[in-house]
Amino acid sequence: MPKPLASIQHGEKSIWGNEIELNSGKKILLNASSGKGKSTFATTVFGLRNDYEGTITYDNVDIKTLSVDDWTEIRKSKISVVFQDLQLFPKLSVKENLLLKNSLTDTFTEQELLERLELLEIENKWEQKCGLLSMGQQQRVAIIRALAQPFKWLVMDEPFSHLDEENTQRCLKMIDKRATEISAGFVLTTLGDDHSFNFDQELNL
Amino acid sequence: MLNKLLFKNQDKKQLIIAIIGAFMGITFLITSIHYLIRVNEFGEGADILGPNTIIVQKKVSNSSTLGFARTDFSKNEIEKIKSKPFIHDVKPVIANNFDVSFETADPLVPRFRSDVFIQTVDPEFLDVDLTNWDWKEGNDFVPMIMPRDFLVMLNTFMSASGIPQISDDLAMDIKFKFTLSNNSDSEKEWVDARIVGFTNEVASILVPETFMTYGNNKFSDGTEQKITQVMISGEESEFGLVEEMLEKRGLETKNSQMVVGRLKSMVGTLFLVVLGISVIAVFVSGLVLIQYMQLLMTRNSYEVRTLMRMGHHPKKIIRMFFLYFVKIFGIVAGLGLILFFIFKFFLDSMFANGGLYIGTNVTIGSISALLIAYGLFAFASYRTATKGIFNEY
Repeated sequence: MPKPLASIQHGEKSIWGNEIELNSGKKILLNASSGKGKSTFATTVFGLRNDYEGTITYDNVDIKTLSVDDWTEIRKSKISVVFQDLQLFPKLSVKENLLLKNSLTDTFTEQELLERLELLEIENKWEQKCGLLSMGQQQRVAIIRALAQPFKWLVMDEPFSHLDEENTQRCLKMIDKRATEISAGFVLTTLGDDHSFNFDQELNL
Repeated sequence: MLNKLLFKNQDKKQLIIAIIGAFMGITFLITSIHYLIRVNEFGEGADILGPNTIIVQKKVSNSSTLGFARTDFSKNEIEKIKSKPFIHDVKPVIANNFDVSFETADPLVPRFRSDVFIQTVDPEFLDVDLTNWDWKEGNDFVPMIMPRDFLVMLNTFMSASGIPQISDDLAMDIKFKFTLSNNSDSEKEWVDARIVGFTNEVASILVPETFMTYGNNKFSDGTEQKITQVMISGEESEFGLVEEMLEKRGLETKNSQMVVGRLKSMVGTLFLVVLGISVIAVFVSGLVLIQYMQLLMTRNSYEVRTLMRMGHHPKKIIRMFFLYFVKIFGIVAGLGLILFFIFKFFLDSMFANGGLYIGTNVTIGSISALLIAYGLFAFASYRTATKGIFNEY
């Protein structure tokens, strides 16, 4: 239970205060209203905050005991994240933002990255600075960036909040395809919309 | 790409100011250390006397001539001089208490004979190989250090005799002979001698202490040995204080010795001041550079944090900041070194034109100072980068 959320009333099925296990390869929906801790969940399992009570284990290791080297390796090749605030570099172009991530593991070629942009209909933004893109375009870049690494889990914090249904479906299809290809699972947080996707598991907060 | 992300679009005003400060500081640091060393070395090896060494005696006044004032040094006086902080050491100059004459004893050189005055000084004050500066009974010859004026006199004599004049090296090959005797001339002894060096600063022939003791023991009439001259070695760059003390105590020395000492003190002090300012300049500009690094890391805190969240190792980012600043300081140090060589070219010519022939090779001290400054900056940069990056982790 994250300390800032301890004062809030959580439901019986809430992951806060209960023991839950996320199994490899599962596609999970984390459904909750605002302020229930969706972003807290994403940042906590990614090791960015440790102001919680209880234990989080990854591959049976308490994540509080992981070293800087361990976390660097996990973030590079085991857990990928699409943050709610996207965390792109606004002064760099789309190309530079993607290559900066992709260069760590050489997951895709430049051509493959361009193909993914094309699938999401933003290939013409390749050389454009991210700061000049709309929020919806930035979300699509952030999703492609998150896919540009090997991962066992992809954690996405409201990644489609600025996308229309058509683009949401395109993104979800691309994410599902990639996760299936590499036998990875993902956790998608939403404000209640399941995007007509057949999730393996649904979690509540 | 990482360089573009972290180091582009920065306000470089502060960086440029720090670079200019570091550049000037480094230049003057190397220059001042180099010339401080060279000026202090000036005169070393030119004479058989060690550096910063002078021979002093009491000024002869009317009252001393009439016997009212002493011209010799008491043990107490020597200790008082020695106790001064700017005095490195004081030793008496011991003179012969017996009759000595000196003559050529070489078939290639016409006979030349003169009564002479010999002295001995502590070998610590002499810039000679101590293995050659020794004598004991039965040795082939007594090593001696000649006043250069004596060679001039000998050459004048040779010239008058129609014989070619001789050089320093040749003079060292000539065989000489000392005749030692007591006052009544009832006892005499002849000892072979060879010149091992020359001095401009001592007016008498210098011999090893063992030889002087031997002569004084064997031929002295037993009168008390008076110390009329003492040898003083002063601390570097403090000859002004030595001079002041001599004045106060009514002592005198050869003017040339004091001129060199005074000159060295003045120029040395000047470079010491420049050195002090340079050290402060390098320190402050280094500090400004380090501060600029901190500022850059703070301005880039979002980028740094995000890079680490993406899987870039903190050490990689630390290395980027470290190398960026170490390269800047390296370029500054390189440019400073180049400007030092330009300064050196002009300053060496200026010194030479003024008759100060100081060494022209680059001193190890100045290069070491540069390396130390660089090493310290690199260390501080690494520590700052490590602290700054891990603060964002």
